[in-house]
Amino acid sequence: MIQMTDGHLNDLLKKMYANSMEAIFFIDEQGSVVAMNPAAENILDIDVIERMQSGVDESFCQACKGYTDEKDQISCSKCYLDYPKGDFSSFQVYLKTRGEGVVPYAASYHTIDEERGIRVLMLLDLTKQQKTQEMLQRSNLLKYVIKAQEDERKRISRELHDSVAQELLSSLVDLRVVKYMEVGEDVLKKLQQTEVSLTRLLDDIRHLSVELRPASLDDLGLEAAFRSHFKWIEKNYGLLVDFSAELSAARYGSEIETVVYRVCQEAVLNALKYAGTDEVHVRLCEEDGVLQLTVKDDGIGFNMNENEAKGTGLGLYGMRERAELVGGQFMLYSAIGGGTKVELRIPCSEDNERERETDTR
Amino acid sequence: MKNQPNYQYQAEIEKLRDRFQFDFVSLALVQPAEDRFVLTWQYASGNMNDRYKRIVLHSGKGIAGIVFKTGKPMLIQNVNTDIESRDLFNYPIIVAEQLKSLGAIPLWEAARVQGVLLVGYRAENRLTQAAFDQFQEGLGKEFGAFHAGEVGQL
Repeated sequence: MIQMTDGHLNDLLKKMYANSMEAIFFIDEQGSVVAMNPAAENILDIDVIERMQSGVDESFCQACKGYTDEKDQISCSKCYLDYPKGDFSSFQVYLKTRGEGVVPYAASYHTIDEERGIRVLMLLDLTKQQKTQEMLQRSNLLKYVIKAQEDERKRISRELHDSVAQELLSSLVDLRVVKYMEVGEDVLKKLQQTEVSLTRLLDDIRHLSVELRPASLDDLGLEAAFRSHFKWIEKNYGLLVDFSAELSAARYGSEIETVVYRVCQEAVLNALKYAGTDEVHVRLCEEDGVLQLTVKDDGIGFNMNENEAKGTGLGLYGMRERAELVGGQFMLYSAIGGGTKVELRIPCSEDNERERETDTR
Repeated sequence: MKNQPNYQYQAEIEKLRDRFQFDFVSLALVQPAEDRFVLTWQYASGNMNDRYKRIVLHSGKGIAGIVFKTGKPMLIQNVNTDIESRDLFNYPIIVAEQLKSLGAIPLWEAARVQGVLLVGYRAENRLTQAAFDQFQEGLGKEFGAFHAGEVGQL
């Protein structure tokens, strides 16, 4: 480091004062603004600056809305301006700004001239950092909500499958045994009807369980889960799903498998609802370490530039969000009369592999 | 369902379609134990494709499912106004056959609904309440092996 002369240092400090992105205020003991740099002038409301410069009201208080303390987000108790004993080396302050309303700033406030009681207040715009934090929080929250939903579905599905359906099955077996005992004709007839109802009920419960979340997704993987789901779609809606899988029973992290399953489910349901066709092509494969899902139909398609959604418009949003949760890419192609194609690409990098290992542990 | 004479249901529903000038008539019947007693569309007349054959009906779902569960006739005079378009996919037979006005009645056997008879048009408001009543009256109390009355008799 070169030895700094006083002159040189003065020069640098002046430049810093003039060009810094940080807003710098010099404030005296009364809380009046003695001086502020250009960055600071850019922040404050013009009215406030005028009042300060004309000497009508020099108090910094008119620009400040309060700061964050242990109790409140925005508070004025023990104001940093007249509480010199407090530690204000780093805190968050809310200022009335020019054109952007009340904005949070990271601030530091300390005395630099003991004799004349001059303090310096330096501010750094926090909005960008806060936005990043908000996004992170939102994505975490979404992840949590989706996971909670899946977990709850899994629990109810298991419960239905393992206890309700089992119990029902054993009573059905009992009922069939009774049929071979010595009973009257009319009892037998009634028994037969009950058997029909119970059988149907058992099927309904099994369907409900699979519909909530197929156990095969956790036990056997994507391919098996898809095959039974598409069979169910065909039976329920008469929609033919042409499914080709080139995964050779490979398994992925449960988070990835869930995303692929749900996105595909939604895409096929969309085709069923809006494409006006009775055939959908689904392809699942892995190429160059990227898990790919393609759902394609030759239906009526839609105008992608039009914002008018036929449904709630939340389906596409949800698919994209789910894809982003596992670092995947979601793409949609459609044109009127040209069918619709949905593509999902999820890199199964080492990161995801590691996640899988910790998942299974 | 044992020992019943072999009714010519295909011929029966074609006759119905001719008599009332329906665009579409179909008949769903409960299947035997081997097929776990599911309800499927067995016969159709005036169908545009064979999609109806793939559909397995669920109690309480879709037209036939609701009729099956409630045991009451059901009339949808105008599909475009009576069913929300985003709900329409839950009625695959309406979508597949592009029906716009339709009705369905339960078919009884031994106080149980054993089948559903569906009639419809591909134009809005063709099947009015009066026309539906007239059809049920014209059909009479019997259809094949079943009772077609409002409430099943033992």
